Amino acid sequence: MLHKTPRRLIPIILFLLWGESAIAQTRTVDPETGSVTWEIQVHGVTLSLTQILPDQARAFYVNRGLPTTATESYAKSCVYMTILRNDSAPGAVHFRLSDWSVVSTTGSQPPIGAATWLKRFEADGLSQSARIAFRWAQFPPEQEYQPGGDWNQGMLSAGLPPDSEFDLIARWDVAGEPFEGILKNVRCAK
Amino acid sequence: MFVVQNRRCQWVLLLTAWLVFPVLADLPPLTHGLTPIAEPADSPTLRLTSMDDEIVDLASLRGQVVVVNFWATWCPPCRREMPSLEHLYQQVGDKGVTVLAVNVGEDEDTVFPFLGTVEPSPTFPILFDTDSSVLTQWRVRGLPTTFVVGPNGKLAYQAVGGREFNHPDLIDQLLQLLEK
Repeated sequence: MLHKTPRRLIPIILFLLWGESAIAQTRTVDPETGSVTWEIQVHGVTLSLTQILPDQARAFYVNRGLPTTATESYAKSCVYMTILRNDSAPGAVHFRLSDWSVVSTTGSQPPIGAATWLKRFEADGLSQSARIAFRWAQFPPEQEYQPGGDWNQGMLSAGLPPDSEFDLIARWDVAGEPFEGILKNVRCAK
Repeated sequence: MFVVQNRRCQWVLLLTAWLVFPVLADLPPLTHGLTPIAEPADSPTLRLTSMDDEIVDLASLRGQVVVVNFWATWCPPCRREMPSLEHLYQQVGDKGVTVLAVNVGEDEDTVFPFLGTVEPSPTFPILFDTDSSVLTQWRVRGLPTTFVVGPNGKLAYQAVGGREFNHPDLIDQLLQLLEK
């Protein structure tokens, strides 16, 4: 069969097959909350973003003892419950959040990590327990997932105004070899 | 300030919504694999106060397999895996496998009511790492993270993210470690 296929078409066919199986982005809406989830499975890794509505973020952190000034700025910064899982990558998946890109019409920058937020909150005088809860509820700034099911779930701030649209480029490496997964047309909650 | 006060009632209602939110979200299934640690080293120290106001020292558990689980009540996968830790403890606790659940950054007033909602409610020691210093010492990068310490006191396995701890495969891994 293949020997009858013009050679110049083979790369195109392979690209189409790869694209079909590896980058099938899904979008689902939670009927109860209206939160939208975007998910891809690529290179043996699952990546998903679920909108956390501003009121949900406020409620969570007020309950953890964060001052309202701090929760207000964070809640409006386009926050997602983020899951990254190593299902069947060829080895340990290692990433740094600082290598990821939030690409919108206003430019490209990494998601805002926990350390940056905690620095912004310094003037608000967070208690130790509030600081710990905030730090550890965030998606890890750096992590390594072994194959077969290591994963994390945490909050990720895209740092964009409500209702913005962006692409998230997540980058990781497996034994030094770089990989990336792109979630396209992700929208911030209003 | 006016806006904040008006919103307070709304937030109280939303606190309930938050508890429901992670349940409704399409969460991945809990896996049941433990990753062997390539070059087993002595576990970091762990000496913390338990919910029963007793000092629990990991060093005193030498000879047992110890499952050390770092968690918090606000962490959805931690909540999901907690019943399976108790099932594990009930199944193999008398065979030399014990569980220590290290809560990070919270206090008894927060943790105790949560444990009452877990079915079955944990009977293994709940320890408090109030300033997260032990978490840092164990090089945890995300919650939950679980380590398995072998009878020789060395780190044997690690699991990042929620697990189904009473899965037969995982229990086999722990019991085999006891035989080594």
